[in-house]
Parts: sequence; structure tokens; C-alpha cells
Amino acid sequence: MAGEAPHLKVRNLTKSFYGVPAIDSVDFDLRGGEIHGLLGENGAGKSTLCSVLSGLYRPDSGTVSLDGEAVQFRSPQDASRHGVGMVYQHFRLVDSFTVAQNIVLGMHKKQRPRSMRQVESMVADLAEEFGLHVDPTASIWQLSVGEQQRVEILKQLFRGARILILDEPTAVLAAQETDRLFEAISTMVAKGHSVVLVSHKMAETMAYTDRITVLRRGVNAGSVTTASTTPAEVARMMFGDSNAAERTNYDAAQQVGEPMLSLSGVSVQGDHGLLAVDDATFTVRRGQIVGVAGVAGNGQRELQEVIAGLRSPVSGTIEIAGTNCTSAGPKQTAQAGLAYVPEDRLGVGLAPGLPLEHNIVLKSYDRSPHSRRGVLSDSAIEKTMNELVEKFDVRGNRSGMRVSLMSGGNLQKAILARELNEDHQVLLAAAPTRGLDMAAAEAVRSHIINERATRGVLVFSEDLDEIVKVSDVVLVMFKGRIVGSFASDELDLDEIGLLMTGSGAEIASTDTPTATSTRAGS
Amino acid sequence: MRNRLRVMPRGVTGPEVRFGVPLGALAFALLLGAIILAFAGNDPIEAYRTMFDSSLNGWKAQSRTLALATPLILTGLAAAVAFQMRVYNIGGEGQLYLGAIGASWVGLALPASTPTPLMLSAMLIVGALAGACWALLAAIPKAYFNADEIITTLMLNFIALSLMNWLIFGSRSFWRDPRRPVPGGKRLPESAIMPSISGRLHIGIIIAIVAAIFLWWLLRKTSWGFQIRTIGDSPRAARYAGMSVRRKTMAVLALSGALAAIAGVSEVSGVTKGLEPIALTSNIGFTGIIVAVVARSNPLGVVPVSIFLAAIATSGSRLQSIGIDVEVVFLLQGLIFLTVTAGEFFVTNTVSLAHPDTSATGSPPTSEIKAAI
Ligand SMILES: Nc1ncnc2c1ncn2[C@@H]1O[C@H](COP(=O)(O)OP(=O)(O)O)[C@@H](O)[C@H]1O
Ligand SMILES: [Mg+2]
Repeated sequence: MAGEAPHLKVRNLTKSFYGVPAIDSVDFDLRGGEIHGLLGENGAGKSTLCSVLSGLYRPDSGTVSLDGEAVQFRSPQDASRHGVGMVYQHFRLVDSFTVAQNIVLGMHKKQRPRSMRQVESMVADLAEEFGLHVDPTASIWQLSVGEQQRVEILKQLFRGARILILDEPTAVLAAQETDRLFEAISTMVAKGHSVVLVSHKMAETMAYTDRITVLRRGVNAGSVTTASTTPAEVARMMFGDSNAAERTNYDAAQQVGEPMLSLSGVSVQGDHGLLAVDDATFTVRRGQIVGVAGVAGNGQRELQEVIAGLRSPVSGTIEIAGTNCTSAGPKQTAQAGLAYVPEDRLGVGLAPGLPLEHNIVLKSYDRSPHSRRGVLSDSAIEKTMNELVEKFDVRGNRSGMRVSLMSGGNLQKAILARELNEDHQVLLAAAPTRGLDMAAAEAVRSHIINERATRGVLVFSEDLDEIVKVSDVVLVMFKGRIVGSFASDELDLDEIGLLMTGSGAEIASTDTPTATSTRAGS
Repeated sequence: MRNRLRVMPRGVTGPEVRFGVPLGALAFALLLGAIILAFAGNDPIEAYRTMFDSSLNGWKAQSRTLALATPLILTGLAAAVAFQMRVYNIGGEGQLYLGAIGASWVGLALPASTPTPLMLSAMLIVGALAGACWALLAAIPKAYFNADEIITTLMLNFIALSLMNWLIFGSRSFWRDPRRPVPGGKRLPESAIMPSISGRLHIGIIIAIVAAIFLWWLLRKTSWGFQIRTIGDSPRAARYAGMSVRRKTMAVLALSGALAAIAGVSEVSGVTKGLEPIALTSNIGFTGIIVAVVARSNPLGVVPVSIFLAAIATSGSRLQSIGIDVEVVFLLQGLIFLTVTAGEFFVTNTVSLAHPDTSATGSPPTSEIKAAI
């Protein structure tokens, strides 16, 4: 194990999905023994780059070399033979197997000790050496997420990885576990391993890495030495220049009216038992678009679901157009006046295997004219569908065709058509233009902006440009908290970028929640 | 690197696929069967003609086939309605026994002079309720604790079977006829027996067909069925639209249990005419699952599929009478089942060869990722 890991050199790497490049002519250098931070917004191509490096995907073009020797990994096993191992964002462990069994799973007979006892003692030694404590005889289902991650890392070390690629390892960890992970990483580096650390979080990247590479929309936006850069510079590389984003030109003298959606002190438990939303307080008024910026996974989904009535808050109150909807279900929130375009179009917003006419009346099938006394009227449903298809320009539907075969833009228009056709006072739209082509995105955006004339709108998006373009008020969410609030005329993109990555958290915590809420509401 | 088979879901399934594939599968099975028959030293043409004559040629043969199809339609519907919501009720067998137990209790308990329509209605209602309650024993744990209904409904089959056996063989129960030397059920009074249409064919067939049409209407044309179809396709979308998945799970399992139980009512009242455990345990409930799968959970498809399976079954005994070994007959029946069900896969998917390199550029190759690890 002496000496440093080989120098990994990537040149001109391109990988496309369906003709759209996920990474485009990327250059990347990982020196032996360094911790290299890989930053970028969601969808920037981080996971794709890592998956190419670990042999899961094959690049369309470009070269990879180790210490000057060109390599082409045909599979993760192949990469592993060259000492490159990856821990994926979503773990790949067999729940009912033990730690030791998982670690040797898929290894060739010749490469692994014959007895499980022997594997277990080797794993225990390795765990001791790197401070990745976990019981080799425990079953995976008995372990916490943090422990499962340690198993994944041990799996790669066991197979002789010198270069470790960790895809967003801290996204699933609590603070304490994060500290332990970084201790283990330092131990690895001290022994000559090198580590690629994919992250969204500015603070940890600045604190623990030697160098940083930023990906932006599949392109390398720059590689810098951590010691000689600032969070602001990195944030600018991630989210673009402040002057690049333009605001949509619309009536600045828009009258702001009464509250359409008010949250006060709302906290929500996440799926892992931690607080996913922590004390959210803000108001969306008639005539106002409030945009929530933030890197995905910071509680946005839970916040959307609690507003829509798909989750219950552990504390706080929610009002929709004057009706208390704190513990209402989805039916009641819709009745109170909430139109909801969920993040997950197929599967939540639409039943993918059913035809368009079914999905168009997904929320109004049980009312006149679509049904009377529980009996559906096919002709009324078809009439509604034809009207809305026309009005919202939904294309690509064939009679009886399952809706999942339509393109993303048309699916989104169909959802918007359904939601806006209901009586409503406030529109909640999550990632409304994600994955849409320019024309469809523009159409969706203009529907959203139209809503502002008479109603309130709350938009969630990971695309900061879009948030800035359409919003009157921008809220920033980080780790479940609303950490910043800006009116459209006092936007500071640099600061928003910093807040999104958590490095401005100290500044924002001086901002009391009351101050946040008054600013958002004014 | 080897080439991989690439399986893609078909988008729209046109009628040519929906009917063509099963018919093609049938032809394939008959061809394969002919080879087997020839090898076994039989004349395939003669065998197939006998099959056709004994099951579908002429009213006598047809009525025999329809009589056999009657309970299959009902258990097929029971499975189909649950499958529509992706609830896997494989407890049709046990629910059928409960229907038989309930109905025979009513038939024996009410005065024999009760008018037949009243008697039969009471038997249907009590039998259906018994089956529904039996299904709820699996539905409630599923709805509240997400207990796997495949396991619970299967277990309940064994309990129902033991219960029925105990009533007749293990106790001096109300159902058992003490005068018979070999344990058996009391014979139902004439007023509790489903009127015959022709030979063994009784009005249960009408009940079954009406049930199929009603179920189709319920699923396709009512807002209740709208919810079932939504939940079956995507429970998350259903929840988003404000539907109660829990309540529907219980309702659908209860309905499914009631339908299977009506098959039991029909059998006990129209065929065995008393609670006869041996005659009632002929896997009608389990066969209903096959029926539902082949009919792609479409209630209207259940009727022809049941008749088709019944036809294969009725022709079996005749094939034996012309000297074909019983094993060969079973082989032939199994072959036809198997190819038609396997053909189902090609109705919903297309299969082609793909080189691994090209497939890696396409959609997220989940199966390849899994295989790579
Ligand atoms: N297997 C895939 N199939 C199709 N598109 C993909 C696939 N993986 C990633 N993409 C697309 O490539 C882009 C980059 O994704 P990804 O590498 O996962 O980003 P990140 O990890 O930075 O969030 C996204 O637009 C994503 O939709
Ligand atoms: Mg990623």
C-alpha cells in the first residue's frame, strides 16, 4: 500500500443521453493523494462524470488515463481492477446479507478468501485501520444509513481501490456522521489514496478539499485550488454571473393583495426521522410570485407535500386562502383553492399507464359534469379533454394511449391544464420546467406568470436563473430552513448562491425568522 | 461482449396484437401438441376433432362446457377485480368454501317451503357476505400494516379448507347428514337448488355473466372504478388526487371475496346440492387466478377465457375414452395454458436484440446496472 494513488487524467470526456450531452468535453485531473471536490447544481453532470470514471457508463468520446497510461473501463469490476472504486448516491447493498457477504458479493472466487470467517476478520481490520466502524457480521437491514455508507466504502477498499469516488456522501448523513466520514477520508488520504468528493455543500467542500472542480450544465466551469479561492467565487462558478440573469419584463406596479398561502412555524418530519422542514414561516399574497431557490434535497419536497396535504406537519399552521389547512388532506387543500403541479410528473402528477382523458379529470372525475351519482360521463370527460388540449396546446396524444408516452413538455402542460382548470386561489408549482425543451419551458413559464395577475404563486426550482426571472420574492432553502428572503429589486445572486450551498448560514442565522417572514410578506 | 436481449414495453396495444398474440399462441400450442400426440402414438387430427366435438360442437357439449365455466367465471372475476388494483388475492379458493358454507347454512336453516327466488337470494347474500368477511381478514392487515396479502390470503385458504372439512368430517355440525354412512352434507331442499337450464347447466351461468358485465361497468363507467384504476396504476398519483388507498384496498378485497364466494354458492346450490368438501375442492379458486391473468384482468375477457379453459377440461375425459393416456391429456392442457399465458408477455412488450454498446446510450439500463454489480 506504499506510495500515492496514480494521477487520474480526463480529457475531452463527453457522454450523452438521448442525444443530450450530460457532460460535454470535460477535462478533469485527480492528483495522487488529494481530496478533490466536485461541485455543481443538480443535473450538472457530476454523477455522470463519476459513473464514467467508475466504469458504469462508457463515454461517447474522450480519454481517461492513469499515470499517463490510457485506460478504458468496461465495467465497474474492470475499474476496480485498476484501483478505482465508487460509492453511489443510492447504495447498492443486499439488505438480507451480512456486511461481509455484501463486501465480497460479485468478487471472483480467486480474489476473495474462501471462508466468510476470514473475510469478516479482514473487514474488521480494514474498518479499524480507516476508522470505518461497522460489525462485519451484522445484516444490512440492521444498519443505519451512515453505517451502510461505511460498508460501501469498505467494499471498495477491500477490492483494493486507491481512488475513491464518493457521490454526494454527506447528503444522507447527520452532522456527527459527517464528521466521522471526513475523519475516515483524511485517514485514506494520509495512506496515499485520493478521493473525489461530490457535493453541493460549500462549507464542507471549502473545509476538506485540496482542489475544487465545478461543473455547470455538463461543462467544466473551472478547477481551482481550495486554499486560494473563496466561497463567493465558487458559488459564481456554480450558478453563473449576477448580471447574466434577466428578469422577465412585466408590470412592476402589480397590486399585491391579501394572503393566499400562509405558513407559520411549520416543521415537518422527513422520511429518515430528521426534521426535513424546520420552522418555515412565509406568506404568498395575491398578485405575487414567491420563488423558493435551493439545491434539491434541502426539504423542498417535504415542504411542498405538507402544503398540499400529503404530509402532516409536526408543528405550525398552514392557511390556504383563509382556510386553515394545517392537517387537511389533499382533497381539502384542493377545495380550499390550491392548484398543485408536483415535482414528479409521471407517478404523482399523472397516472402513467392511463390515458390522457383519465388524467385530465384526475381531480374532477367525481363531480358534475364528469360524473353524476357516481356514474362517469365519457362524453363530458372527452369534451373537457378536447377543450383543455386545445387551450393549453397539449400535443402528441392518441386516443387510448398511455400518457407516459407523451413528451415531458406535453405532460407538464396537461398537468397545468388540469390544475388551472379547477377553481383555485394559489398555484404551487415544483420544478415546473425541469427537463423541458426551451419552447415548452417558455409556455409553462408564461402560464405561471399569467396566474400572478389574479392569484398567488409559489414556485420551487433548482434553476436559480428561472427563479430570479419569474419571482417577486425569492426565498432560499437550506437544510430545511428558510435561510434568506429577497425582494426582486434587492436580489443579490452571489449571496443567494452562498446561502444555497450553506456557506452563508452564519449570516442568515442572525436574520430572525420574524424578520424573514415580514420581508417575504411585504 | 455478448449481445443482450432488449425488452421494450409496447405503447399502444392495438386489437391485432391483443387478439392476434393469444390466437398465435394457441396455434403454436396445438402444433406442439400435435407433435406430442404423434410421438405418443395417437392421431392428432382425430384427437383435436374429439376435443372440439366433446366441448364445443352442439348444444349438449356446449352446455356441459358452460356448466364447468360457471364457477370459473366467478372466481376469475374475483381475481380480476383485485388485480385491477394490483392487489393479489389468491384466496379465492378459501373464499369459495366460505360462500358454500354460508349458502348451505341458509338453505338448510330456512324452511324448505321458502319460495325459490327468496331462498336463492338469501343464499347469495349470506354466501357473498361470508366470502367478503373472509377476505377482510386479509384486507385489514394489508390496509393498516401493509401485510402481504399474497401470504395472508393463501394461509386463509388452508384455514377455510380445514373449517369445511371439520364441519363435515370432524364434527356433528349442522351441515352434516348424520344418516349417511360416509360423512357428507345434508341435501339442500328443492327450493334451495338453482334451476337447471339444460342438463348440468344451471342459472348460475346467468349470474356469472351478469356479474361480469356489472363488474366491467363498475370498473369502466363509475367514479368508484375510476379510483380503482388510478390506484392500480399509481398509488402515489391516487393519493395526490385525494383518493383513499386504504379504504379502496379493503373494498376491493371484500368485493373479490364476495365474487369468489358466489362461485361457492353456485356450486353448492347448482352442482353438489349440499356441503360436499370433496366435490368442492377442485381448485376452482386457483384456476380463477389463471383465468384473470390470461384475460388481462378485464372482466369481459374473463368469460371467453373461462369457457376456453372449461372446454379444454371437458374434452379431457373424452380424450381418455378414445385411448389417449391421461398424462398426455394433462400435458396437452398444460401446454395450451402455458403458451397462451406466456404469450401475454409479447402483448405488452417487444423483444429485440441489442448490442450492449448501443443500449448503454439509451434509457437508463436498470437491468444492466443490476447485472453489472
Ligand atoms: N441514465 C440516464 N438517462 C438519461 N438521462 C440521464 C441519465 N443520467 C443522467 N441523465 C441526465 O444527465 C444530466 C446530468 O445528470 P447527473 O449526472 O445525474 O447530474 P448531477 O449528479 O450533477 O445531479 C441530467 O440532465 C440528467 O437528466
Ligand atoms: Mg447526482
